Amino acid sequence: MFYSLPRAWRERNGHYLLKATKCLDCGKTLFPASNVCRACGSRNITSVNLVDEDARLLSWTAIYSPPSGLSHQKPLLIGLLETINSKVKLISRLTDVLPEELSENMVMEPVLRRVSEAGDYGIINYGIAYRPKLGSRQI
Amino acid sequence: MVLDLAGVIGWGVYIPRWRVKASEIARIWGFHPKSPQEIGLEEKAVAGIDEDVVTMGWEAARNALKRAGIDKNKIGAVWVGTESKPYAVKPSAVIIAEALGLPRTKLSSDLEFACRAASEAIRISIGVVESGLVKYTLVIGSDTAQANPGNVLEFSASSAATALVIGPSNESVAVFEASVSYTSDTTDFWRRDGSPYPLHGEAFTGEPAYFNHIINAVKKLFEETGLKPSDFKYVVFHQPNGKFPLSVARILGFTTEQVKPGLLTPIIGNSYNSSALIGFARVLEIAQPGDRVLLAPFGSGAGSDAFSILVTDRVLEKKDLAPKVDDYLARKTYIDYATYSKFRGLISRIQE
Repeated sequence: MFYSLPRAWRERNGHYLLKATKCLDCGKTLFPASNVCRACGSRNITSVNLVDEDARLLSWTAIYSPPSGLSHQKPLLIGLLETINSKVKLISRLTDVLPEELSENMVMEPVLRRVSEAGDYGIINYGIAYRPKLGSRQI
Repeated sequence: MVLDLAGVIGWGVYIPRWRVKASEIARIWGFHPKSPQEIGLEEKAVAGIDEDVVTMGWEAARNALKRAGIDKNKIGAVWVGTESKPYAVKPSAVIIAEALGLPRTKLSSDLEFACRAASEAIRISIGVVESGLVKYTLVIGSDTAQANPGNVLEFSASSAATALVIGPSNESVAVFEASVSYTSDTTDFWRRDGSPYPLHGEAFTGEPAYFNHIINAVKKLFEETGLKPSDFKYVVFHQPNGKFPLSVARILGFTTEQVKPGLLTPIIGNSYNSSALIGFARVLEIAQPGDRVLLAPFGSGAGSDAFSILVTDRVLEKKDLAPKVDDYLARKTYIDYATYSKFRGLISRIQE
């Protein structure tokens, strides 16, 4: 599996912090981050990190034939989530959960995980995955 | 010159969801069924397939920062104590710091001294905070402890992380009143470069290593401060198994009641650099203002530090600001030896 070092470096804050932008005029939060509000066209925006909020699970799937380099992690659980405060919909890996434990509207929290790695000797890519919120007695 | 003391501003822990019973390990490798019980071990925490020192350290540090409630831009050092870092060359500290959005104008390093590297980072932190070089430091002890499959060490080698934000005493939940270190060239446990698992000297890890270093560090602390065992409400030692901490406590004149609240190895295993620190975190979560705690981590090779720590009023307002040790203890799911082997990379495979 080939990884571009400059790309991993350039995108690291997006992967670690889920950097987004919030429009100070219409209030919409945009993810991925953008210099212009895609809802109202305003450039009056501020930066927010979606890693600072929990999310609800809207839907999910299990991938039993994952891409190369990830076969040992199957089934890969992928969720469609909506962040609770900013109402941003995003797609993310799910972790620390078994497929049969997932349910709609489950509260999930972001955690840093090893997302992929370039073989046994190459770089390790870290990023955010979501897991059932600790202490919420959902599992 | 009278310097202001340093203290713990916030603490945080992380324990993975997965547990494997020591009896399952004994069954697979043909140990006598009572072997784990004889050294006070029931089960251990196992990191998942997508977890490592960086991811566990990140969560512990995030919890510590939630409790600290400080301006993150004033953190002047991030130190990770570990003996199982994901990269042999490339600091874990900078990955964790970047992923937490910490400032780049800071000291950052991974420290290695078997199980006591994070403890040394605490002493370094006391030095740099008291000297005024930095305002706050972040110390992380994180390990996915390795053990040769089938070795007795496998009963205990576990995964967990603990983080402390250290800063000025007037903001602290617990103040470092005094600390000493005692280190010597004693080869009781080691891992050669390139070797996947550590080796150890069986019984030699006890008397000349664990007991000798902890006893000398604690006695030196008593000598310097005039304190005695009855001055402490709690005592937390490095805990390679469930028995050593109780034995060293007895030798030094502490009671079992002083040790038990911070003794977690029987139920989560020995998380190496997090071993004593996670016990200390649990003590902070039940401590009352005015309680005095003795913390004495140990690392093979060998060395020990002893800290006298006084809990302040602030501890009460910080306890509930992040998940506690008991919250992570309550979240557990047992896995079998095969799943544990897969999670910890014990099965030889080529990547495809």
